[in-house]
Amino acid sequence: MAVVEENFKSISPAEFFYKNKEIAGFSNPARALYQTVRELVENSLDATENHGILPTIKVSIRELEVVPEGAYYEVVVEDNGIGIPPKYVPQAFAQLLFSSKYVLRQSRGMFGLGAKMAVLYAQITTGQPAEVIVSPIRSKHVYSFKLKIDIKENKPVVLGFTTTSNILGGHGTIVKLVTIGDWTRSRQRIYEYLKRTAVVAPYAEIVFRDPEGNYLLFERSIEKLPPPAREALPHPHGIDLETMRSILKSISDKPVVEGLVESFQGVGRTTALRILEEARIGVEKRAGELSEPEIETLVRVMKNYRDIKPPRADHLSYLGKEIIVAGLKKIFEPEFATAISRKPSVYEGQAFIVEVGVAYGGKVPVAEKPLILRYANKIPLLYDEGSDVVYKVLDEKKGIDFKVYEVEFPAPLVILTHICSTKIPYRGVGKEAVADVPEIESEIESALREVLRELRSYVLQKRRELEEIEKAVAIAKYIPEVAESLSRMYRVNPQEISVKLLDLLNSRMKSFKIGSLSSIVM
Amino acid sequence: MSVSSYSSKVDVKAREAALKVLYEKFYAVLEKILSGEPPKLVIKKRTLSNTIYEPERKLLLLGESVFERSFLDVREAKKFMQTLLMASIIYEALSNGEYPTIRDLYYRGKHTIRYRKLPSKSVGEENTWDEQAESDSVLRDIEVFTNVLREEMLILSKEKGKVVGNLKIRSGDDVIDLSKMGHGAYSIEPTPDLIDFIEVDAEYVLVIEKDAVFQQLHRAGFWRKYRAVLITSAGQPDRATRRFVRRLNEELKLPTYVISDSDPYGFYIYSVFKTGSITLSYESERLAIPNARFLGVMMTDIFGSSKLNKKPYLTESERKNFIIRAKERDIKRAKELKEYPWFKSERWQVELDEFLERRVKLEIEALAGKGLKFLADKYIPDKISVGDWIE
Ligand SMILES: Nc1ncnc2c1ncn2[C@@H]1O[C@H](COP(=O)(O)OP(=O)(O)OP(=O)(O)O)[C@@H](O)[C@H]1O
Ligand SMILES: [Mg+2]
Repeated sequence: MAVVEENFKSISPAEFFYKNKEIAGFSNPARALYQTVRELVENSLDATENHGILPTIKVSIRELEVVPEGAYYEVVVEDNGIGIPPKYVPQAFAQLLFSSKYVLRQSRGMFGLGAKMAVLYAQITTGQPAEVIVSPIRSKHVYSFKLKIDIKENKPVVLGFTTTSNILGGHGTIVKLVTIGDWTRSRQRIYEYLKRTAVVAPYAEIVFRDPEGNYLLFERSIEKLPPPAREALPHPHGIDLETMRSILKSISDKPVVEGLVESFQGVGRTTALRILEEARIGVEKRAGELSEPEIETLVRVMKNYRDIKPPRADHLSYLGKEIIVAGLKKIFEPEFATAISRKPSVYEGQAFIVEVGVAYGGKVPVAEKPLILRYANKIPLLYDEGSDVVYKVLDEKKGIDFKVYEVEFPAPLVILTHICSTKIPYRGVGKEAVADVPEIESEIESALREVLRELRSYVLQKRRELEEIEKAVAIAKYIPEVAESLSRMYRVNPQEISVKLLDLLNSRMKSFKIGSLSSIVM
Repeated sequence: MSVSSYSSKVDVKAREAALKVLYEKFYAVLEKILSGEPPKLVIKKRTLSNTIYEPERKLLLLGESVFERSFLDVREAKKFMQTLLMASIIYEALSNGEYPTIRDLYYRGKHTIRYRKLPSKSVGEENTWDEQAESDSVLRDIEVFTNVLREEMLILSKEKGKVVGNLKIRSGDDVIDLSKMGHGAYSIEPTPDLIDFIEVDAEYVLVIEKDAVFQQLHRAGFWRKYRAVLITSAGQPDRATRRFVRRLNEELKLPTYVISDSDPYGFYIYSVFKTGSITLSYESERLAIPNARFLGVMMTDIFGSSKLNKKPYLTESERKNFIIRAKERDIKRAKELKEYPWFKSERWQVELDEFLERRVKLEIEALAGKGLKFLADKYIPDKISVGDWIE
């Protein structure tokens, strides 16, 4: 048997994702076009609303040339965000795993991959460089870059750089890519994505020009932004060895007590001392001096330390009832909409908040199942719904029985779920499904039941009103007959009797009055 | 010549009396409406539970419990409207000197109400009433509510009772000899109280439920031979037939025998003659014949009874040919009958138990089938002479 010798080598992150595009959602031209739009729009939203700016985002896709796999498309996304300091632009767009979002702060971005994957896909399918034009806040200049990725080295290659003066004084970013895509097969998804984005961002103005030349405008329907997300310190319950090591390294000169107080949330001096005592670590030690076994004990003690406040959630940016309801009303024009935001909860040391909204009736299409809109950190999740935690809550036999809430399918019902957290347990870097973490699952279920209870009261109330209307008609239609009969016997004016009877009937109705008999009896 | 010139003085009086009561009884409804109060009618219930059997008088009477028919109650609104509509039609007919039939009343009141449904605004159509059963039902309510019977309101109903026998009566201006009807018979008129009995030569009254058997006995000359007044109710007896028989019984003191099918429905027909019916219990005092006798056909006539020491009228093989298997609903009806107080007598319980045990029934036609001679010359006269009837 011939022994084939194994060849060992290392590859760069760029080369890895070049070879495994599909894990980031770039599996084929159709999906890639959708994913490109998504990554760029999400970056734009992060660059605006997280910094207190009402987003105005323009998206345009133009078809340049038809090729066998699909066509060349020019994708342009423009925003009024904070921009990027010019010195970071090449890395931000042409070096994988480079990000400003590697901190404990809720944002749409998380992996440091999105923009680069779009650039990479464009580069390998059309050979064209990415064009990035930025104008940071208060910048006197506008900077334009032409960028490519050196895949072997995972390094940006700057092909062109120009500066012009920022005459208008505006700020924001424009990203232009030429990529292979398949509009026909991604059309529906892209529209759906933008629509769903607009549902939870009624404070954003989004304009979309599609390759067929159609314009779609989502107007801003509310001037209120969600509270901005703020950066949080790690919580002791969410710590692991590696994070601990790097934290200790960054504060190596400080006494370990001080270091703990400074680097973790919920840890004051007393708590820090107790933790160290339990871990049998001398108070006088500096952070850099801890031995490996001491670090291990410290992590174990901290993870299990009971007497500590749960992770803070005030730095999370949740949507809130007002925004969810405004979004649902704007997009679906339902007859009833409501939403709730649950109190913060915790999984693996990470704070999270679940929000659920429902829209019912009106122009909501009637369907055999509720229309489910899933969101995580305000990103709409469109693919892989089968493996998402929300479906676990809804689908299981023991799950929600809608009849209990007076909803019988087919029915016009939209359910919106939103999970926000410093760390969303996505099933993949393509961000399409959330793993079924028990804590999250149970929060979703409670939230869902809460809004469905509200829906139920509404439905019942409405049914009562309908019944009353039906009852009123059921009686009113006989009034003229009764009046005529009495007039035959007593020679009274039937008109007078009718009016009296109608008054009597109306005085018995709570929510509804019949204006005149002629509107009922013909 | 105007229509009213036909009416007798008695008629005019009846009209005036009925008009007055109707006017007064329904005036309360008008008053309530004018003073802004919800109008309603309080009527005695015509239900089984409010039908009371008075054992001393052997009568089914209407009890005292009442229900409210309120216009603003969505379940009663239509009936309320129908009741007022019916009252006003009767009122008009009375004032115009007419004699409407219940079918006339039905047609006069029947028309379509077109209305707009809400919130859909689609157009709905509904008739004031669809079936005559509905207008008949409110008519009964009005009789109970006003305590005036339809005959007193000069309403005619289609009567199907017939009579022959040695009897002369006056109806209107004519004297009619009921022994001279040929193969036909005299149809009992809707207002039997306006009949005068002039002459009678009979020993008893025999009521046959079935018209066909009545005709056979008539052609066989049964009534002449046995000096009977022969009557058929042709099924469920109507009011005029019951009133007519009651007058024969009460005023001419003629014993009254009833023959019906041998099944729970037949038994019940007899009990209607005798004690009254559940739907018309408010009329029993005028219509019931408390001493009417059930002559047959009895279960024990078919099978005999060791308990009563009675031999059967049919042989084993005749039985086989004539009896019919009882249906589920017959059984159910028999069980209901067993619980009615007026069937609680020992003698009736024997018959009903026999029926429930054998689960078969027999039609009178079957006895005629054994031979008309048997029915006319043996079965009936024998049973009368030995007193084999149920009181
Ligand atoms: N439109 C923009 N405006 C301002 N900054 C931007 C914009 N687009 C990208 N950036 C910056 O570039 C960085 C890299 O973006 P990229 O999409 O590659 O990763 P990410 O958003 O951090 O994470 P993810 O892979 O989850 O999207 C961002 O962290 C952000 O700092
Ligand atoms: Mg991103």
